[in-house]
Formats: sequence, C-alpha cells, structure tokens
Amino acid sequence: MMAIAASPGRTNLQRFLSGYGQEIVVLLSIVALFVVVGAINPRFLSNTNINSIFAGNAYIAIAAIGMSMIIIAGHIDVSVGALIGVIATIAGTLAVNGYPIWMAWTVPILFAVAVNAGVGALVAYTRIPSIVVTLGMLSILKGGLISITAGKWITNMPPEFMIAQMRPFGIPSAVYFMVALTIIAALFMRYTDFGRAIYAVGGNIEAARAAGINPERTVVGVFALHGLFAGIAGILFATQLQVIQSTVPPNLELTVITASVIGGVSILGGTGTVIGSTLAAILFACIGSALIFLNVSAYWLRAVLGLMILATVLADMARRRRAT
Amino acid sequence: MRSGTEDDSASQGESLPIELRGVSKSFAGITVLSKVSFDMRPGEVHALMGENGAGKSTLIKIMAGLHQPDEGEILVNGKPIKFASPKDAHAAGIATVHQELLLFPELTVAENIFLGQTPKTSLGAIDWQTMRRRARELLDSLDSHDMDIDQKVSALSVGNRQRIEIARALAQDARVLIMDEPTAALAEADVQRLMAIVRNLCARGVAIVYVSHRMPEIFALAHRVTVLRDGKHVATKLVSEVDETQLVSMMVGRSIDRLYPPKQGEDGDIILELQSVSYRNVVRGISLKLRRGEILGLAGLVGSGRTETALTIFGITPATEGKILIDGKPVAIESPEAARDLGIAYVPEDRGHQGLIRTQTIEDNIALANLKRLTRGFLVDVARVTAEARGAIARFGIRARGPEQPVRQLSGGNQQKVVLGKWLATNPRILIMDEPTRGIDVGAKAEIHLLMRKLAGEGMAILMISSELPEVLGMSDRVLVMNSGRIVATFGKPDATAEAVGTVMTKSYNKEQAA
Amino acid sequence: MTAARLLRHETILAVLTIIALAVLASMSDKFFTPENLLNQGRLMAEVGLVALAMTFVIVTGGIDLSVGSILGLTAILLGVFWKNLGLPLPAAILLAVICGTFAGWINGFIITRFNVPPLIATLATLALYRGLAEGISEARSVRGYPEWFFFFGQGEILGVPFQLWLLGIAVVISGVILGLTPFGRATYAIGANETAARFSGIRVNSTKLWIYTAAGFCSALAAVIFVSRVTTTRSDMGTGLELDVITGVVLGGTSIFGGRGTIIGTVLGLVLIQALKNGLALSGVKGDGTIVVIGLVLIGAILVGALFDRNRGG
Repeated sequence: MMAIAASPGRTNLQRFLSGYGQEIVVLLSIVALFVVVGAINPRFLSNTNINSIFAGNAYIAIAAIGMSMIIIAGHIDVSVGALIGVIATIAGTLAVNGYPIWMAWTVPILFAVAVNAGVGALVAYTRIPSIVVTLGMLSILKGGLISITAGKWITNMPPEFMIAQMRPFGIPSAVYFMVALTIIAALFMRYTDFGRAIYAVGGNIEAARAAGINPERTVVGVFALHGLFAGIAGILFATQLQVIQSTVPPNLELTVITASVIGGVSILGGTGTVIGSTLAAILFACIGSALIFLNVSAYWLRAVLGLMILATVLADMARRRRAT
Repeated sequence: MRSGTEDDSASQGESLPIELRGVSKSFAGITVLSKVSFDMRPGEVHALMGENGAGKSTLIKIMAGLHQPDEGEILVNGKPIKFASPKDAHAAGIATVHQELLLFPELTVAENIFLGQTPKTSLGAIDWQTMRRRARELLDSLDSHDMDIDQKVSALSVGNRQRIEIARALAQDARVLIMDEPTAALAEADVQRLMAIVRNLCARGVAIVYVSHRMPEIFALAHRVTVLRDGKHVATKLVSEVDETQLVSMMVGRSIDRLYPPKQGEDGDIILELQSVSYRNVVRGISLKLRRGEILGLAGLVGSGRTETALTIFGITPATEGKILIDGKPVAIESPEAARDLGIAYVPEDRGHQGLIRTQTIEDNIALANLKRLTRGFLVDVARVTAEARGAIARFGIRARGPEQPVRQLSGGNQQKVVLGKWLATNPRILIMDEPTRGIDVGAKAEIHLLMRKLAGEGMAILMISSELPEVLGMSDRVLVMNSGRIVATFGKPDATAEAVGTVMTKSYNKEQAA
Repeated sequence: MTAARLLRHETILAVLTIIALAVLASMSDKFFTPENLLNQGRLMAEVGLVALAMTFVIVTGGIDLSVGSILGLTAILLGVFWKNLGLPLPAAILLAVICGTFAGWINGFIITRFNVPPLIATLATLALYRGLAEGISEARSVRGYPEWFFFFGQGEILGVPFQLWLLGIAVVISGVILGLTPFGRATYAIGANETAARFSGIRVNSTKLWIYTAAGFCSALAAVIFVSRVTTTRSDMGTGLELDVITGVVLGGTSIFGGRGTIIGTVLGLVLIQALKNGLALSGVKGDGTIVVIGLVLIGAILVGALFDRNRGG
C-alpha cells in the first residue's frame, strides 16, 4: 500500500482505476448483465426494452444526482420520493387547469427548491440530524398530498405538456435529460468551488471551516440543488405516463439512496461521483428488467437491492478501516 | 546549518512578520498568559518551549487568530493589527501546521493543498492542470518528489500528511509558519526530512515558530528560543548562548520550591508484572514490575507509548504479545471490564471524553464503574448510589452542591476527584493515573498529590503517567522513561534528576539502535 | 432532583396530552367513550410495543429503520410456516417470532461488529427484510387462520383488549429495565458518551446487541398481534411503521442524539399521537391529513428540544 503511495510513477490508467473504481465496477456489471441476459433471452436486447430501461428510469437517475450531492455533504434525505409525488401532482394539476405549459413545468420545480432549501436551513442551523427532519418532511408531504387530492388520478393532460414522451431524433427526451444533467452535475462537482466545498464539508467539516468555507451555507445550497434535481425528476415522472396517480411513488427514496450508495458515494460523506449514481440507477433498472426476462419473480428485486446496499456499505467500511 | 540571518538588525520592528507586545489572556478567571512579548524575524526558527500549561498553546492560538488577547497588541510589519478570526491571520501571512492535521482524507493531495484558494481558468472553472502542476512544484520544493499528488490523503502516512499542510501554508504565501509539536507523531526518518524542510523554508525567508520538547531538534534547528513558565515570559535567548541544562532549569525552575508529600511506609510485594508486552507497533516489548505501596512514574514525550501502555494494561487495546501477571499469575485482560474485575483502575488523560459523562450527575458517574456492586436483585440500589456519592464527596473534598449536580458544572479539579471517586469505589489494588493533574489549579493539584501518597501508604500500587517533569520527579519512587514505544531508562529516586530524565526523554532514538 | 430534571419534558407532555384530550373530547362526543378509547388502545399496541424497544435504541444514540420490515417479514413467515410448510400454528408463531428476533440481532451484529452507522445498516436491512417478505410471499396473502388465533388481536380480558394488557406489561418491564437496572444505566451511559462508558468497564457492544435484538423481538410480537387483528398476512404490513415509532419516541422527549429519554415519555408521546389521529379523524379530517400533523409535531418537538439544549449550554 505504502509502496504505491510513495511512488509517483503510477500510470494514468492506474490513477483512473483507483479514482473511479466503483463506477467501473457498476459499468462492467451493466455490460455483463446485458451480455448474459441477452444471450439467454435475446428479447432483452430489443429496442423497446432498452428504451424502457433507460427512459423509464431516467427520473430515478436524475433524483439520484441530487441525492449523491446530499450524501457527499454528509447528509441524507428520505423524503425525496414524497417530494417527487407532490411535484408530479402540482405539475399535472397546473397543466390540466389551463395554466401555461412553462408554468406547469417550472412552478413545481421552484416549489421543490424552496421546500428543500428550508429543510437544508433547518438541518444546517439547528443541527437536527437530516434523517429526522426529512422523516418529518416525508410524512408532511405524503399526508398533505393524499389528503388534498384524495388520491384522484389526473388525466387528459395536454400533449405538449408531456415532455418525457417527446422523442427528438427517435430517442426519448428523458434520456437526453439524464445524460445532460449527469454531465452538467459532474462538471459542476469537479470544476466549481461550490462543488468542491460539498466534498470538503462532507469530508471534514472542521478542516472546511479552517479553509474558509461556510459549512452552513454549503448545506443549505446543496439541499436547494437537490430540490432542483428532484423537481426535474418529478416533472419527468409526471409526464412519462398518461395518468398521474396523485400518490407517493412507493419506496422511491430507497431506490434513489441505493443508487447513490452503490454508485460509489460513501454514506459517511466526502467522496463519490454523480456519474456513479446514474450508472447505478441504470444498473437497477437493468436488474429489474432482467429478473422479468429470466422468469425470476420481480418480487425479489428489493431483497437484491438490500443485499447490494449492505455489501457496498460493508466494503466501504472495510476500505476505510484499512486506510487508517 | 543556520541560514543567512541577513536582518540581525531588524530590532526596529519595521519588517518583523509578527510581533506580540505584552499580551495577556485569561480563561474563566485563570490567567494563562501574563504580559508576554514575542517576535519573529524573517527566516528564523524560533523555538517556543515550556511545560504543559506554561501558555505555549494559548500564545500560538493568539497568533493564529483563534483567541483574541485580553491585553497587549499584535503587530504585523510594525503596524498594529487585530485578528478576529483565523481568516485574518491567514491574510496577514500566518499559517499553522496543526497537530491534529486538518485535512480531507477522501480528497487528493493536490486538492488538499489548494482547497479554498484553487487556481481558476479564464472561464472561472477550477484549473486542475495548473493546480496539479503547482502542487507538484510546491512538493518538489519541499524535496517531496516521491509524493503522488493524485493520491487520496487517507492512504498517506502522518509524515506525508504533515508535508501537505506545510505545502498548503506555502501556497498561501505564509511568512510565518507555526509548527506545534511537529515531530510528536513522526517516525525517525520523517523527523530528519522535516528538519531538512524547515531549513529549506528558512532559507526562503519564512519565519518558523517551532514548538517542541525535543532538545536535539531545538539545538539543530533553532536560532532563538523563548521559554514560558506559568504563563510568564522567562527568557528569550540565542540558542548558541544556552545549553540543554540551562533550558531545562528555565522550564522547570519552579519545581525546586514545590513540596511533594514524602513517601509513607515500605514497598510491598510485586502485584503487577509485564513481561515483554506489545501492542501492534505502538507498545514494544514493555517489561516492568509494580509493587504495592509504590508510585511508579512513567515519563516520556507525548506519543512515546506511555498512554498506549496504560490502555493495554487496562484492556482497551489488549496486548498482542507478551504476558501480564497479577500476583505472579498470568491473566488475560481482554476488556476494561476484565481489568476492573482484576482490581485495576484507570484514571484516563482525557477527562471530558474518556473519564466522565459530563451531562450526567456526580452519583451517576460514580456508580457507572460499580454497577454490579450497587445492584440488589435486578435493580440498582439508588439509595446506595447516593450514599456512595456522598461518601466520595466527603472523602475527597469535592466541592459540589450535592450528588445530583451534573459534573459538567464542576471545576477541573473537582471533576478529576469524581473520576478518582468512581475508580476508588471499585476497590482497586492497582491504580493507573494518566496525567493526574492536567488542567487543574495548584490547590487541587496538591490535594491530589497528597491523596496519591496516602493511597500508596495504604498499600495501593500506583502507575503514574505525567508530562510534567517536576510531578514525575516529585511523586515517583521510581521513574521509567519511554521513548518510541519502549522503556529506554529506569531511574531510582536519588538518580532521577530533571536533567537526566529530560535528556533520555527528548533524545531521538534511532529505531535500529533502540532495538 | 435527577428525576425531576428528567421528568420535566414528561410533565409538559402530560399537560399537553390532557389538553389535547380535553379539546378533542369537546370537539366530538364520540371521542371520550370507553369503546372508542379501548379501540384506540388496540390500534396503538403494535406501534407501542416497537416504540418501547426503539426508546432504548435511540437512548444509545442509534436508530432502527428496519422495524416495519421486520414486522412484515415476521408476518409473512408466520403465514408461510403455517400454510405452506404445514406447521402447527403455535409452532409457526414461535418460529416466526424467533426469525424476527434474529433479524434484529443481525442489525445489532452489523452495527457493533463492523462499526456501520445504525442509520445505514438499518436502511439496508429495511430494504432487505421487506424484499425477503415480498420475495417469499410473492404478494400472495394468507388467510383462514383458526378462530382461537384472533384472540391476540381481537380478544379481551376483563373487557380490555388483550394487546393492551400485553402493552401494559411491556411498558412496566421496559420502564423498570431502563429506569432502575444496571442495563438501563449502561444504555444511558452509552448514548451520553460511548468512550467514557467503555472506559468505565461497561460492555458497550453486548449492550447494543441486546437492544437491537430486542427491537427485532418487539417488532415480531407486534407482527403476531397485527396479523391476528386484521386476520390476514400481507407483505406490505408495517410499511412506514418506523416513522410512527420514531415520532412517538422523539415526541416523548428521547433525545435523537442519545443519552436522554424515558419510557413514560414514550408512552405519553404515543398517546398524544394516537389521540390526535383519532380526534382529527372524528372531527372530519381525512385519514392522511393526520399524517401531516404528525410530521409537523415531530419536527416541532425536536426543534423545541434542540433550542432547550442550546439554552442549557449542554
């Protein structure tokens, strides 16, 4: 270990592998899954299926980008699923009631940013753990949504509102969003002071303060950003089907958190990338789809997720123990 | 060896990178610094010496902007200045290499050097290429060609991490670099490299405040030395004008006029024996014998393995090698619980963190190590818990409102008495006391010393760890000196002089030589 | 004096609960009837059992998000052992409860052995246990339990629902353990300062292991009562239970940072929540609207607690 550390003669490849280990593992898993499942059941590789894997889960990947930032900063948000449900309903309601389409898209997103900035302020300035605040938010959003809408379905939305269903150049627009937002977020995290401050605050809050970073403002900012991504995810979620159910999508928060963790974001904060979480979200979608094509009951999907989180976390703990 | 001191005439203060005039500071009514003056000249290494509690760390915290002085003024380049926060000190060119190394373990070396002041491209994005190139240059200029700038800091040794902090200070164009016990946690090879780096920095005109107890380093590096004692300035001298003995007596001068209680009674049988006990590579082959009625002093610098030895005897870090015997019988001590049941008590060095539950009451704290004894059937006997606490309050003269007062409201000395009360209630036969009087006022100190003597007189075997030389010399019947995880010398009471013990403590032991 | 200090929050809470009960009683004449109150007690029992164990967990400074999943898994196993494996029902119940308890032990093992933060460890097992429940049951429910089994969830002794007796006994036992035994003292010590507890010879890891195992056991017991009450097993049983439980415990004055909390407080917290839910429902607020109130109450309670802490300078 120390021999490597002391040697500056590492190749760029080694450097790349050590910096992006988890991302590469996830990517290889996706490729392996396609090869193996495709060989067993070629229909897995059909255009329709691949489209549905990518387009149908893009909103999860986008929400996982924001969640990754939150976890890198050393926090967590268990209310993101409820928030996405609320956003979808607000957007759908606005669209159906004749508000301009641009408003139906942007108002819910601004709402999400405002809500999460509030959560961030509570977390940063009162030092209440984010898990507690977001647990409370979860029940407020969930209860509020169901009691106001009574679970009514929203239908007959104007076609021009359905942004996720548009297909420029034959590819679903949700995929464009996923790719573009992942790239933008990755560049943001790597090339801006704010992005690096997120890593610094999650890695060592005292050292961050000593380096002139304001940890409180950083936490509020990162929650607001997370709200932005959740907002966009919510709009895509609202517009991918012809109907919005006005309920909270079950267990979405868990899937999103799992994507971040398996994508290489350490649950203890300070490390990880948004590329990893997007890849992990795709990996889940692939696993879910593969279970169907392999005639394995999809009911086991969540058990697989649980095992994957556990394995990733244990590996992370072991790695950290070795490092110290 | 000493770099060019081109400005020996800089006494007019115009170009002094920092100067403190008559600075005083007190905390909660206790004066820790009293009218201390201190200045730095460009390119010099200025050693700051003194015992624990002498006021060194307060002085450097004032220079780093962490504390504001109550009295006196700070001048930078001859102009008075106020540091409201560490940021202001940074801006004035003063940087600190922290003992606890404030770094980001999951980020790369290059980023750790520049975080908070990263170079930008014309578009305002972080310029990683420039950052990595400048990081490389900085590390090369510190003769650290072997450090990989893309490595995560978590994978690096302490010595390398320290070099990153130094590089970070250079990246901020620091003119004064404060190094607080920089070699305390370093291996020998790293100490040599650090000394080379310090010389290199001086040659570039950086002034270095060098806080250390280690004489060889002081004499090899420093130009001037300032000694503090009890918060007062004792002397500032050119290193070439003093020798080791003079420095030690300047630091510990007070010890002569302090009275330690005399030994009572005779030593009894050997109760605790360690036979080449090791824990990983921190405690290396320790052998010692402890008798009833004896106070055995364990001297050494911070990081020399004293506390680590205590933790191994107490079962926090069970021995990985060697044998521990109690009353001549080998015992396995795998947990603090096992140690307690064998009659070992440990009064730890960090009271607030290891010794006490500060939010709980005196009686709760005292009961904690004695729950088994204080339980009737399945239930804790609350009346006995209170009675026990009242007993301890009376016996040790703890100044408190009563057994129900939370310990965080007590003074340091009274808190320490609560810890003692907790452990003496377990009826131990072996008492390990780690820094028994750290952060305690003089009166309480004397009380604790008296109590230790009394306990020993009653047949208790006491192993005392202390960084205060006078305390070690005054209290111990025998002194063992540790250095680099080993016992390097044993002194009987008559031979244990400040000079002799101090010399062995501060000597740089070559690993091979010691082995 | 110690007791007085500890009970201060509980006193405020008790007054608050009485006021809430009075207001709710005045809003609906159906509220303060014995039938309604006993029925509310019946509904409270499952959350209550788990909340008692959760109080210990949170007092140590930990958290257990997987309790709802353990409940679901135990319920499914109960059905599967009985219907699919053909075990006699008592044996199936016993075995399922053992499995649920074991699930709790696994949480404790992961947390103490590998130093995984409890939040993350139980987040993972939340998914894992629920996933196992879904995978094993494949969304099929089990029905047709014999009549005697419904006693646990629907029966009465001396006119009081069976599970209320059980809850009452559990309250007394856990209250005694936390308040009066060495184990309880160790629990507080660990939450207040784990290092100092270890340095005082407290068996930190084994204490925590016991506590997480107990949380599994309580969740498993709650599962049996739940199944008996609703006469069927489904894999989604207990979803979101952790929220109700944690809200009750925290509202009851247990510090989320550990080191402080009482069983009496937890009971008061539970009563207040159940009363709010029921009272709001009776006065015409739709079922889910009450969840909003719970969320607000949770955040509000912690906020007030945090401000209190700051003022005391602790």
